[in-house]
Amino acid sequence: MGVTYRGLRKYLIVLFFIAPTLLGVLMLNVFPILFNVYISFTNRNTYHYQTYEPAPEERAAFVEEHPALGAFAWDVLCPVMPALCCSPDRMMVYCLREPFYDNYVRLFEELFTTSSLTAMGKLVLTIVPLIAVSIAAGQVRKRTLSPPATWWWWLVAAALGVGLWFLLDARAALELLFDTGSFFVVMFRTVLYVVACIPFFFVFGLIFALLLNNEWLRGKGIWRVLIIVPWAVPSYISALIWQFFFRTEQGTINQLLGILGVQGPSWLLNPGTAFFAVVLVNIWMSYPFFMVIILGALQAIPTEQYEAAEVDGATWFQQLFNITLPLLRPAVMPAIVLSSITTFQMFNTVWLITQGGPIQGAGVPGATEFVMVHAYKQVFQSRNDGLIGAFAVIVFIILFAATLYSMRVTRITQGAYE
Amino acid sequence: MSMKGTPLTKVLVYALIVLAVLFSIYPIWFAFLASIRPGQRLFSLNLAGMFIPLDITLENFRAMLFEKDFLMWAGNSLLVAGLTTIAAVTLATSGAFAFSRFRFVGREAGLILFLAVQAFPGVLSLVPVALLLYRLGLFGSQWGLVLAYTIGSLVFTTWNLKGYFDTIPMELEEAAMIDGCGPIQSFIRIALPLARPALAVTALFGFMAGWNEYVMASVLLSGQTDRYTLPIGLAQMANDIQVPWGEYAAGALMVSIPVLVLFLWLQKYLESGLTMGGVKG
Repeated sequence: MGVTYRGLRKYLIVLFFIAPTLLGVLMLNVFPILFNVYISFTNRNTYHYQTYEPAPEERAAFVEEHPALGAFAWDVLCPVMPALCCSPDRMMVYCLREPFYDNYVRLFEELFTTSSLTAMGKLVLTIVPLIAVSIAAGQVRKRTLSPPATWWWWLVAAALGVGLWFLLDARAALELLFDTGSFFVVMFRTVLYVVACIPFFFVFGLIFALLLNNEWLRGKGIWRVLIIVPWAVPSYISALIWQFFFRTEQGTINQLLGILGVQGPSWLLNPGTAFFAVVLVNIWMSYPFFMVIILGALQAIPTEQYEAAEVDGATWFQQLFNITLPLLRPAVMPAIVLSSITTFQMFNTVWLITQGGPIQGAGVPGATEFVMVHAYKQVFQSRNDGLIGAFAVIVFIILFAATLYSMRVTRITQGAYE
Repeated sequence: MSMKGTPLTKVLVYALIVLAVLFSIYPIWFAFLASIRPGQRLFSLNLAGMFIPLDITLENFRAMLFEKDFLMWAGNSLLVAGLTTIAAVTLATSGAFAFSRFRFVGREAGLILFLAVQAFPGVLSLVPVALLLYRLGLFGSQWGLVLAYTIGSLVFTTWNLKGYFDTIPMELEEAAMIDGCGPIQSFIRIALPLARPALAVTALFGFMAGWNEYVMASVLLSGQTDRYTLPIGLAQMANDIQVPWGEYAAGALMVSIPVLVLFLWLQKYLESGLTMGGVKG
C-alpha cells in the first residue's frame, strides 16, 4: 500500500498534512510534559515560585566569572532555565535542587528501604499465580487451534493468590507500605480503582449489548438511546447529581433506604463507601460506551458461525464462550486499554463527588485521592510543584510503558506499522 | 446471536433492559423533577415527588434563560464548541489521511507519540499550557481555549479516523487515480464520503470536548466573566452558598439537550464509526 508520490515531494506533502497536528501536539502536549520534567528538578513550591529576573549587574558578574560561556550563554539560558542562574537560598525564586534529582529521592527514599522492598516482594508474590496463568493462557490460545477451556486455571490461581495473601501476611506488608509516603498510597488506590471499575464496564456492557442484540426485541433504537444517556450528559453535572444522591441526610439513596426501614450509612464520610460511590458513578457513566462498542462488534460477527454451531447442537452459552467472546476480543481490548487510562486519570467526577476525601489525617492522601486528584491538590492547594512534578513524571513513565505493553498484547496497532 | 424467544426469556430480557434504563436515566429524571418543581429545592420530602412531578412550573427555566447569563454562556459555549468541532475534524482528517495513506520515516514514532502524551496526568499540563497561551497572547481568550480543546481531542480522533481509513481499500482510490485523479483528489472524492461514520464520531467528540469541559476552561478563562462557557457558569452557580438548585437543574438540563440531540442524530454512526484505533470489529 502507498501513494504514488516519491522522495522529497512525498515528504513535503506528508508534512503539509501532519504539520498542524504535530505542531499543536508539540506545543500543548509535549511542551507541558518537558516543562514538568524541568520543574520536577527544582524546588518550586509555596515559598519559591517566581522565575528569576536577573539585575544587569548580575549579568556582568556572570560574564566575568564564566568568560568561556560569555554573555550569550546568560542571555540564552537564563530565560529558559532561570534555576541555573540563581542561588538556592534566594527567597521566592525557585532553583534547581541540589542534587538535581532530589525530589525523586524524597519521593522514593522510604520506598527503597529493605523492609519496604520485602513488603513489596510479598505483594508481588501474591499476584504471581494470576500473572503466570494469564501468560500460560495466552500461549495456549496462540499455539493451539482449538484451545481448551482455561477458566478453571484462573480459579486455581485466584485460590493460590488468596492462600499466599494469608501465608505471607500481605495485609501487614500493605500497611507498612502505606506508611512510606503518598506515592505508594495514591498509586495503589488508583490501580485498585481501575481494577474495581473495568470488569463491571465490560460485564454490564456485554450483558446489555447481548440483550439489545436480540432480533425479536422491539424498540431497539429507543432503548439504546435511553441507556446511552449517561455518556452524553456532561460529567460535571451528573457528578453533582450523584454527589447529592450520596448525602447522608437528604440524599436520595438514604431516603429510599429509609423507606425500607434501613438507616443508610454516611456514604461519603466512610473510606469504603466513598470508594464504592466513585466506582458506582464511574460504572454508570462508562458502561454505555462499552455497550456501544460491543453492539457494533456483535453485528460484525457473521451469522453463519452461529448457524453452524446451532446445527452442531451448541447451547447458547457454548456459543457465547466459543464464538462471541473470542470474536469480540479485538474490538473490546482497545476499549479496555483506553478506559483503563481514562479511569486512571479520572478527575472531574471524583473531585466533584468526594474531593479526594474522606480525609484520613493531616498530610495523608484521602481515601479517594487518586492520581489526578492528588496532583490537582498538590499544585493548586499545597503548591508543591517540584515534588508533584517528579510524581507526574514517574506516573507518565509507568502509564506509557503499560500502554505500549498492552498495545503489543492487544495488537491495537496491528496492521498500522506494515 | 439471539436468545430463544420463549415468553419467559422475553419477559426477563425486557425487565433487565427496563432496569438498566431506569438506572441510566433516573439521575437525569431527578434533575428534571427539581427543575420543574416550584422553589429551589433539589429534593422532595414527599415520596411520590421523588419519582413523578407533582407541581409543575416553568419558572426555573424562565429565570435561568432571562435573568441569569445563561444565554451569554450558551453563546460562548456554542462558539467554542463549534470552532473546536471544525478545527478537530479538519486537522484529524488531514493527519489521519497522511498516517493512513503514506509510508514515511517517523510514522510509527508519530503514532506512538500521540498515544504517549495521553499518559501524562493532564491536570499538571494546566500551568504550562496557561503559561504558553499567555506568551502567545491567547490567555483568557476563547481562541486559546479552542486551541487547547482541539489539540486535546486530536489524539483520540486522529487514531480513530486513521483506523477507519485503513479499512477503506486503497483499490477504490487507485481506480480513481487511473481515471486521472491525483492521490489527494481521489482521497477526497472516494475515501472521505465512505468515512462518513468516523467523521461523524470525530465531530461529536470535538463538540463534546468543547461543550462539556470544565477544569481547563476555569483556569484559562479565569476572571473573564463575559467569556464564561456554560460549564464554568453553572459550576459558579453550584459554588454559591445558597445554591438555587431549581434553576441549576433547569440549566443542567438545557446544557445536556444539545449533546443528547447530537447523540440521537448520530447514533446510527456510533457503532460503526468507533474503530478504536485500527481494529474494526
